Amino acid sequence: MTGTPFLSVENAVRRFKGLIAVDTVSFEIERGEILSMIGPNGAGKTTMFNLITGQLSLSDGAIAFRGEQISNLPPHVRAQRGMGRTFQIAKPLIGLTTRENVMVGAFLRHHRFAGAYDCASEVLAEVGLEARAEIPAGELTLSERRRLEIARALALSPELILLDEVMAGLNATEVTEVIDLIQRLNGQGMTFLVIEHNLKVVRAVSRRVIVLDHGVKIAEGTASEVLSDPTVVKAYLGKRAQ
Amino acid sequence: MSLATLVGRYAGLLLLACVPLGLTWNDPYWVNILAYAYLFAALACAWNIIGGFGGQFSLGHGVFFAIGAYSVARLYLDLGMTPWLAVFPAAALATLVALLISWPTFRLRGPFFAIATMAINEACFALANYTDHLTGGPRGILIPFRAGFWNMIFIERWKYALLTFGFMSIVVLITALLRRSRLGHYLLAVREDEDSARSAGVDVLRVKLLGMALSAALTGIGGGIFAMYVRVLDPPTLFALPDIGVKFALISLIGGIGTIMGPVVGALLIVPVENFLRGTLGGAIPGGHLIVLGIILVCAALFLKRGIVGEFTGAVRRIRNRKRS
Repeated sequence: MTGTPFLSVENAVRRFKGLIAVDTVSFEIERGEILSMIGPNGAGKTTMFNLITGQLSLSDGAIAFRGEQISNLPPHVRAQRGMGRTFQIAKPLIGLTTRENVMVGAFLRHHRFAGAYDCASEVLAEVGLEARAEIPAGELTLSERRRLEIARALALSPELILLDEVMAGLNATEVTEVIDLIQRLNGQGMTFLVIEHNLKVVRAVSRRVIVLDHGVKIAEGTASEVLSDPTVVKAYLGKRAQ
Repeated sequence: MSLATLVGRYAGLLLLACVPLGLTWNDPYWVNILAYAYLFAALACAWNIIGGFGGQFSLGHGVFFAIGAYSVARLYLDLGMTPWLAVFPAAALATLVALLISWPTFRLRGPFFAIATMAINEACFALANYTDHLTGGPRGILIPFRAGFWNMIFIERWKYALLTFGFMSIVVLITALLRRSRLGHYLLAVREDEDSARSAGVDVLRVKLLGMALSAALTGIGGGIFAMYVRVLDPPTLFALPDIGVKFALISLIGGIGTIMGPVVGALLIVPVENFLRGTLGGAIPGGHLIVLGIILVCAALFLKRGIVGEFTGAVRRIRNRKRS
């Protein structure tokens, strides 16, 4: 790796009272790559996400984005610096239309109505929601809500997108569509950090994978390396499975 | 929708709201009611900016209303400033106080914010009773009747109605423009989900404070106009929760909270009905009009959850969708 990494997480620790949810985790993301983060339920993946985007603050350690320390910045400033995220439980603004949902994000870079409107139209076309633009977001189906989550992150014109289980609850066709979307955006130079349970997806999109278990990083490497690592198999399936 | 169509649409709707004034302009009883209805429509619209769009259910807007009224009265009586200009420093003072109050209370969410703002309203009520040199204490301030355009005091009642109608029109147009602006979208995002708004780059506290500032400024101007209309200002008139602070919220709830025209529809309905009930029931059963009004409010809360305008636009959309599919 040359120069400063795009995103670097150094010895990140997050404690909740007695529980250590993330325990001295370090990793880096290069510009333009897709890094997957996997691990069993409760491994600390979403906590790690919230530490990176600022929804939670670090108990210890440091996070740098594009060479600058961001550990103490509030979430909205990290979004302004170029981070977009989705939430594991989709959080559409249900009282607003689909387009307005996306426009909230688009207003970050486009201060005027017309600019934000056009940006929202582009993003909605990108994720295939243009036909649903004018209906209340509360009426969208699950898969449409997932795509809206991605659209809202995209509207920020981010350089790094964090996707928290966007495939959960989608059928095979929809999963393929979202994989295509991620690859297309990656082709345009966007960097991704992806939490995913679906290992097919992990193999399809990511060159590099890190594995968390009980808040500790237990493995890092290419998808096939990591998925055949005995400690990873143990973490997922329990000891007896060997 | 282009800006021109938007302004055109609301100008049309406002023209519609003007019709009752045209029909009754020489009947002082109805013109008085309409003057109040337009003023409270404007005040409810102003409340709706932070209460409806921003989702911050303030019950303390009586404070900004009273500051506006007292400031205009003092500037007019002590410095001889015309109320047409005095409303601006009054609005500035209301905004300043709003920001001071909001900074700590915006940490509270939902009902806790509502209770805190209500408590502040009651504290200011008590305070107004004790600061004789500013507010005249419990005896209040009397503004002598000296008719004249620059005094904002008129012999003909319809001129007041025209004044409050004009103020309402300005507030509605400001809200309509706000609704499609960046701040408007951010207020809605904050109302729906603060975490989600933050991750979209929204500075939640700043957006709430900006919404509150705009809302309080317009409420302060409304208070100033109210002062020149009633010309008797005592603390119960300005701070009473059922007549002021809570009424802004109730009008918005009935008309359609978070909609642009909702507060106008709510005020044009509630203010005349309240007056009618007070007239017919008030004498026979003391407080009887409040019982009937209470029943109406409960029914609205049960059956018109999105208010009249909210339910109406929802129904229109459903019919359109059915035709399309």
